[in-house]
Amino acid sequence: MKRIGVIFRKEMKDMLRDRRTLFFMIVMPFIAIFLVFNVMFRLGMEMESRSRDKIVRVSVISAAPLQEFLDVLSASGNVEVLPSIADGEVSAMVESGQLDFVIRFAGDFEDRVARESTGSVDVYYLGSVSENEGALIRIQDALDEYGRLLLGHRLEERGLSLPFVSPLRVNTRDISSARARIGDRVGGMLPYFIVLFSFLGAMYPAIDLAAGEKERGTMETLLVSPATRGEIVIAKFLVVTLSGLFTAVASFLWLYVVLRTGGPLPAALLEGVAGIIEPRAVLQFFFLLIPLCALFSSLLLSASVFAKSFKEAQSIITPLNFMVIIPLMIGIFPGVKLNAATALIPVLNISLASKEIIAGSISAVYMAEIFLVQSILAGAGLTFCTRWFKREEVIFRS
Amino acid sequence: MITVADVSKSFRLSREQRREQRRTPAEGVNAVENVSMVCRPGRVFSLLGPNGAGKTTMLRMIATLLKPCSGAISVAGYDTVREARQVRGRIGFLSGSTGLYERLTPTEILDYYGELHGMDRHALRKRRDGIFDVLGIHEFANRRIARLSSGMKQKVSIARTIIHDPMVMVFDEPTVGLDVITAKSIIDLIRGCRDQGKTVIFSTHIMGEVSLLSDDLAVIHRGKLLFNDTFERFTARMDSRSVEEEFIRLIAEA
Repeated sequence: MKRIGVIFRKEMKDMLRDRRTLFFMIVMPFIAIFLVFNVMFRLGMEMESRSRDKIVRVSVISAAPLQEFLDVLSASGNVEVLPSIADGEVSAMVESGQLDFVIRFAGDFEDRVARESTGSVDVYYLGSVSENEGALIRIQDALDEYGRLLLGHRLEERGLSLPFVSPLRVNTRDISSARARIGDRVGGMLPYFIVLFSFLGAMYPAIDLAAGEKERGTMETLLVSPATRGEIVIAKFLVVTLSGLFTAVASFLWLYVVLRTGGPLPAALLEGVAGIIEPRAVLQFFFLLIPLCALFSSLLLSASVFAKSFKEAQSIITPLNFMVIIPLMIGIFPGVKLNAATALIPVLNISLASKEIIAGSISAVYMAEIFLVQSILAGAGLTFCTRWFKREEVIFRS
Repeated sequence: MITVADVSKSFRLSREQRREQRRTPAEGVNAVENVSMVCRPGRVFSLLGPNGAGKTTMLRMIATLLKPCSGAISVAGYDTVREARQVRGRIGFLSGSTGLYERLTPTEILDYYGELHGMDRHALRKRRDGIFDVLGIHEFANRRIARLSSGMKQKVSIARTIIHDPMVMVFDEPTVGLDVITAKSIIDLIRGCRDQGKTVIFSTHIMGEVSLLSDDLAVIHRGKLLFNDTFERFTARMDSRSVEEEFIRLIAEA
């Protein structure tokens, strides 16, 4: 036990003096989180508002002037109605961007409406222009409103009113708390960063502590010391696990700082974020993260022990990133829920559990199941790593 | 004392290695075959052989890094397989490829290895200061290894090897890649260890070092011993004019 402490202290000192390790553990999470929230989110929200506020240029083609529709369209806001064009110009005008939308009423539209039949309307636009998505909704709303007006006229002629054909009015009342809603929508996303960075933060120390030590020629001297292979592995495992946890804590703090200071997020989302920052939720999340970091550590260290050099370790470990990213992404998908089966899948389980932690609905049974599963896997990983480390053909692989 | 009794060691070849050595259809390779030898305290035992002869494998088995497939090795009276920890506590190991922790200082490195050897703080500090005095390390004792010259690093390597005052010293081609002045510090270390009554075994393929240091000599080639006796007897029985020529003759005849 004493030698584990000696190796642990030395490795910690060595690691904390390494600028590259510190970069991966502290600076990289900040840069990534800052960029995602301040650049990507801001960009996304700006795109959305640009689409919403865009003044669309519309031309209406109809056999006779449809003043009632033009009034509705103009009233919908951010619409500039331009003079009508010929049928043959539609494609060219839309493709060239001179017009955003062309609404073409069929030649027999008025006749059909007068005969109490259904008239046809075509809307031409470029779907490939993302800003048109929001504008299309406005155009459709205007057409719906016009349809309701026409229906109103028909009913009036028969002495009826609109409620006659709309006997049902549906009022949806969402009684979930903002915290629960945010938990379900972004609950998988916040831990996405923390879990991913805990893996990345453990990656570099794991490579340095085994493959790096082999490459630098210091492993042999360590193996000739009275420390057993088991003691060496346990000490290194503890250092790698701690570096993963440290990076997770750093990522969490950066998330908090970025969201609280310059985040462009709406108030409702911030309210949800405040939910995860509640001490109980934070403790629950990190309680589950500890065995996961231990599992990452045992896997990364095993791969690093096998590698002959730093470079080889990197090439072995890089694909392991997908083993973390894919379950994390599945966890973000709506509809994927935490249950007895998904609680057995590492990474995915913590991603799903975090949604429920934020929503405040996590069950103690699932918490225990996730903790236990990940602890067992981490223990198995550590056992494998120790056996791996004792094999001559692995340690002296040439 | 080191006693090697009828030791053999073979390695399984990886698929890649088998592909590279198409002429050797065997799944494994015998690195050391039925080797027996004795290294006595106060004498320097040289293990001489060309590259790939099995020198490093032999020394790694003595240092408990590898386990023999058959036979037994005892170091200072302890079996290298059953009592590996006791053996490791009594040997100092230095090889040409040995590195140092670049981000630590010489003081920290010596403290690390001293603590791993279970030395108490007071004894460790006294021993460390003594070694620093002899090797002239004090002036750069608290400078990180990355900022030291290769000569300074070599001194730290030597200090690291002897911090726990081992009874047995194992040197695996310790002067490989070193300049003449730095190599001399290793030669001096080996001589010093002999004078202190330690058991010393070192491997090399540099004939000058053999003539300079050897009390006993073993010539190894393809894992088998071609000669194993005192250096005096080796030179007395030589059919060639120099140690180098005799070594080449032995290898050629094998």
